[in-house]
Amino acid sequence: MVSQFPRSNFFRKVADWRRAGCPLHRCPRALPGSNQARSPITSLARQMLACLCFIAAGIFTTSGLATHAGAAAVGATLDRDSVPAGNGALLTLTITGSRVDQIQLPEVENLIIQGRDQSRQIQMNGGQTIVSLTCTYAVGSNTPGNYQIPPIAVSIDGQQLTTKPLTLKVLDAAAAQAPTPSGAPPTAGQAPDTSGKRFGFLTVELLIKDRNYLYVGEIAPVSIQTWLPEDARAQLGGRIQPEGKAFTLHNVSERPQQSTEIKDGKRYTVVTWYGGISATKAGKYPASLSLDATVAVRDTSAPKPRRRNGGPFDDPLFDSMMDRFNTPMIQQEVTLKSEDEEIEVRPLPTTGRPDGFTGAVGDFKFESADIPASWKTGEPQQISASLSGSGNFALLGAPAPVPPDAWKIYPGKSDLTPRDAAAFSASKRFQFSAVARKGGKQDVTLSFSFFDPAAAAYKTLTTSPKPVAVSGADLVDVQPNIPAAPPEPAKPKDPLVGQHSVLSAVAPLTPLVARPGFVWLLALAGLLCVLGQTLAWLRHRRRDPARLAHAAMEIATHEALQAAAHCAEQRDVAGFFEAARRAIQLRLGALWNQPAPAITLAEISARIPAESPVARFFHEADLSAYGRHAAEDLLPHWRSLLAEALASLTPSAR
Amino acid sequence: MNRPLRLAACLILFGNAPLHAAGSIALEQANQRFAAGEYADAATAYKQLLTSEGPRASVLYNLGNSYQRLGQYGPAILAYERARLLTPRDPDLLANLTLARQAAAAFEETHRNPRLDALLYHFSRHEWSWLVVGSALLLGGLAVLFGVLGLPRRGWRNGALTAASIAILALMTGATALYLRRDEAALGIVLSATTGVRLSPFDKAEVLGSPGAGRSVRLGATSGAFRYVEVPRTSLRGWMTDTEVVPIIP
Repeated sequence: MVSQFPRSNFFRKVADWRRAGCPLHRCPRALPGSNQARSPITSLARQMLACLCFIAAGIFTTSGLATHAGAAAVGATLDRDSVPAGNGALLTLTITGSRVDQIQLPEVENLIIQGRDQSRQIQMNGGQTIVSLTCTYAVGSNTPGNYQIPPIAVSIDGQQLTTKPLTLKVLDAAAAQAPTPSGAPPTAGQAPDTSGKRFGFLTVELLIKDRNYLYVGEIAPVSIQTWLPEDARAQLGGRIQPEGKAFTLHNVSERPQQSTEIKDGKRYTVVTWYGGISATKAGKYPASLSLDATVAVRDTSAPKPRRRNGGPFDDPLFDSMMDRFNTPMIQQEVTLKSEDEEIEVRPLPTTGRPDGFTGAVGDFKFESADIPASWKTGEPQQISASLSGSGNFALLGAPAPVPPDAWKIYPGKSDLTPRDAAAFSASKRFQFSAVARKGGKQDVTLSFSFFDPAAAAYKTLTTSPKPVAVSGADLVDVQPNIPAAPPEPAKPKDPLVGQHSVLSAVAPLTPLVARPGFVWLLALAGLLCVLGQTLAWLRHRRRDPARLAHAAMEIATHEALQAAAHCAEQRDVAGFFEAARRAIQLRLGALWNQPAPAITLAEISARIPAESPVARFFHEADLSAYGRHAAEDLLPHWRSLLAEALASLTPSAR
Repeated sequence: MNRPLRLAACLILFGNAPLHAAGSIALEQANQRFAAGEYADAATAYKQLLTSEGPRASVLYNLGNSYQRLGQYGPAILAYERARLLTPRDPDLLANLTLARQAAAAFEETHRNPRLDALLYHFSRHEWSWLVVGSALLLGGLAVLFGVLGLPRRGWRNGALTAASIAILALMTGATALYLRRDEAALGIVLSATTGVRLSPFDKAEVLGSPGAGRSVRLGATSGAFRYVEVPRTSLRGWMTDTEVVPIIP
C-alpha cells in the first residue's frame, strides 16, 4: 500500500495516516475479538506495527531518493576542435538522470546543429539505478570562423542543468582541402580516382649527399616510402622487389617507420623503409620497385546515403562527416609501384685503377692485422685482418700481403659483422692461409684497394710494416708446364634442324577417322563380311548330303506318285499299288532313316498302328504285290487312302 | 588402247607435274629467304604456298622453323603439330618441335606409359584409321573369298585363317590407338604468351590466367568470336578468341 502513494507526497500521507490511525482500527470487525476493550498488549502490537510500517516506508523512500541521488548530471563534448567549412563535428551530450524533461539547443548564427542519434543506458550499482541518456548531434557551418557553442540547458527531474560552453573552429575549405577539378563541391557519387594511385604508391629516393648518381658496385642508401590514403587499411605482404634487372636491393630495414604526411593536398599514411641499391652496369635505369599489398579504401564512387527527412536540417553539410562511417570500403590486392625515375649509374674510372683492385666500392679502413712473426718457407700459416667502413662489403676481398711475389696465399674465410640495421656500416674479418716463398727477414704489410665514391678516386690502404723472420730456403719457382692453350671451343651447333628442300605431297590435315568416308568404308567391310557369310552358308546348304538325300527322296516320291496317278487313270490296279507302295516306302525311309526297299509290312505293323491309313494301305499294296488285286472300282477309295497315308507321314510318325 | 584412254592416263600421271614444279620453285625461293635471315618473308612465302596448294608436311615444317627463328613459338608449334599430322616420324620435325616446346615452356605431359606413347604416336591418326579400314576390308574380302570358294584345300584355309587373325589384331590395335587418341580431334594451340583465358566470352571479361604460347588446350563450344578452352591438367578453363587459339586440325 505504501508504493501506491506518490513519492513526493509520501511523508504527508504517512503523517495523515498516523493522525487517522492505523486502518486496522477503522475496521474493528476485521480483527477477532475486536469488540472487546483495548488491552495493553493490543496497544503495543499496534505501535510496533506502525513502527515497522514507518521503517519500511523509509527504506523505500531512501531507495527512491537514491535513484535521484547523484544522477542529475549533464555534459557535452566535441570530437574535434576544427572542421573545414562544409564538414561537421560530432557533439555528444551525456545526461544522467531518470527523467529528461527538455533539452534546449542553443542557436548560433551560421552554425548548424542537427540531431543524429540517441541512446539510453541503465546501470544497477549496489542497489542504485543509474540512467544515462546520450544524444549526438552534427555541428558545422558553411561559413569559416570561430564559433562559440553556448551552454546547453537540460531540464532533468525538474532541475535545470547546463553544459560548459564549447568552441568550434570552421576552417576555410580551400585551405584545408584541394578543390575538385571542376570547382564544384563534391556531390553524391564522387568519381573514383583513376590516376592509378588510388590504393597508394611507392617512392624511392637516393640518400647520397651531394650526388644524384651512383657508381657500379656501390651500394647507395635509399629510402623507400609507401604512401597510403589516410583512411585506408592496408596489409603489406611480401617484400619490396625491384622491377627489372638493373638494380639490386640490399638490406631493407625490417621495421619501417610510419608517419602521416600531406602530398598534393592529400593526407597520406607513409611507411618508410631504408635500404640500399646497387647496379652492375653503367647507364641510366629506372629505379622501379614494387610491393604487394592488400589495401582497403573508401569507395568514393558509391552514392552517399541520403538522409532527407524534409526537416530544417536537410543539409549536405553533414553528409561528409557521417559518410566517413557509412561509405563502403573496397578492398583489393594491388602491387604498389614507384614511378620510373631514372638513376644514373656511372662506371668506375679506369684511370688510376690499382692492380689489386677487386671491385670494392665504399669507404674502408684497416681495423687490425695479425701476421705471425716467424715463418718457414713452404709452411702455411694463417693471417687475419679486419676491415671496417661502409660500402659494398660483398665485393671486398681479402687484403694481400706485400710484396706479392714473396707470398703465396690461399682462399680463406670471412665474417661480416653489420653495424647498423641496413648493414651499410660493417666490419669484415678475413682469415686466410699464406706460405712464405722467400727466406730471410722482411717487412710485411697487408694492402687492399677500393674505390671511394665520395672522393671519386681509388684508394689503397696498407697496414704498418711488420717485421717477420722467414727461415728456410727460397722456394724455387718451377716454371709451370703451361699447357698449350686449349683450342677454341667450336661454336655451338645451331640446335634447329634446317629446312626441307623437297616438296612433299599434298595431304589433308583431317585424318580419315574424322571424315564420313571412314564410316562408309567400315560399313562396306561389314557388308563384305555379311556377304561372305551368306555365300558360305548357301554353298554349305547346297552340298548338304542330308538335304540332297531328302531332295532325291522327294523327287523319287513325286515320280512314284505320278506313276501311281497315271496307273490309276489307266485303271492299272497292280501298277497303282506298286507305285504307291514305293512312295510310302520312300517317305518312311526318309523318316526312319532306312533304305526304302528295306521297309516291309512287318516293320510297318510293328511301328505303326494297324488301323492307320499307312498300315492299311501298305497291307493292301502288299496283297496286290502278291497277286491279289483290289477291284478297279475301289481305286478312288485307295487313292484317297494313299493321300491320307502320305499326309500322316510326319516326323512324329517315327 | 584407244586414244582417249591413253590421253586420260597421261593426264592422270603427268597432269600434276607443272603444279608440282611451281610449288618446288616457290619452296626453293622461300628457303632462300630463310637462309638469308629474312624469316618473316620466308614465313609469308610458306603460308602463301600452303594457301595455294594445300597442306604439305615439308612446307609446314619450314614454316614452323621460320616462326621459331622469329621467336613466335605459338605459331611455330602449331605448324609443327600440323606437319606431324602428316609425317609423324620425321626426326627433324620432332627435334624442332621439342626445341620449340622447350623454348616456350609448353611441355606436353602424359600419364601413359612412355613406350605406349611411342607406339601410339609412331603413326598418325590418319595412318591408324587406314589400318583399321584396311583390316576391316581385308576381313570382308576374306569372308567373301571363303563364301565363294569355300577354300577346300587345307593350305588355303590356313592361309586365310592367318590373314584373318592378323587383320583382326591390326583392327583391334588400330581401334585402340584411335580410341586412346580420340581427344586430339579437339586440340588447339595457344598462339601468344600474353593472351589470357577469360571468364566469359566478352572482351572485357575477367582474365583468369594465361596458358602460355604453344600450349595445347582442349577446345569446346564457340560463342561468337570466342571459343571455350580447357587447359589439360589444370583448373584453368574459360574463353579465348579465335585469333588467340587455333585448332590443330582446321
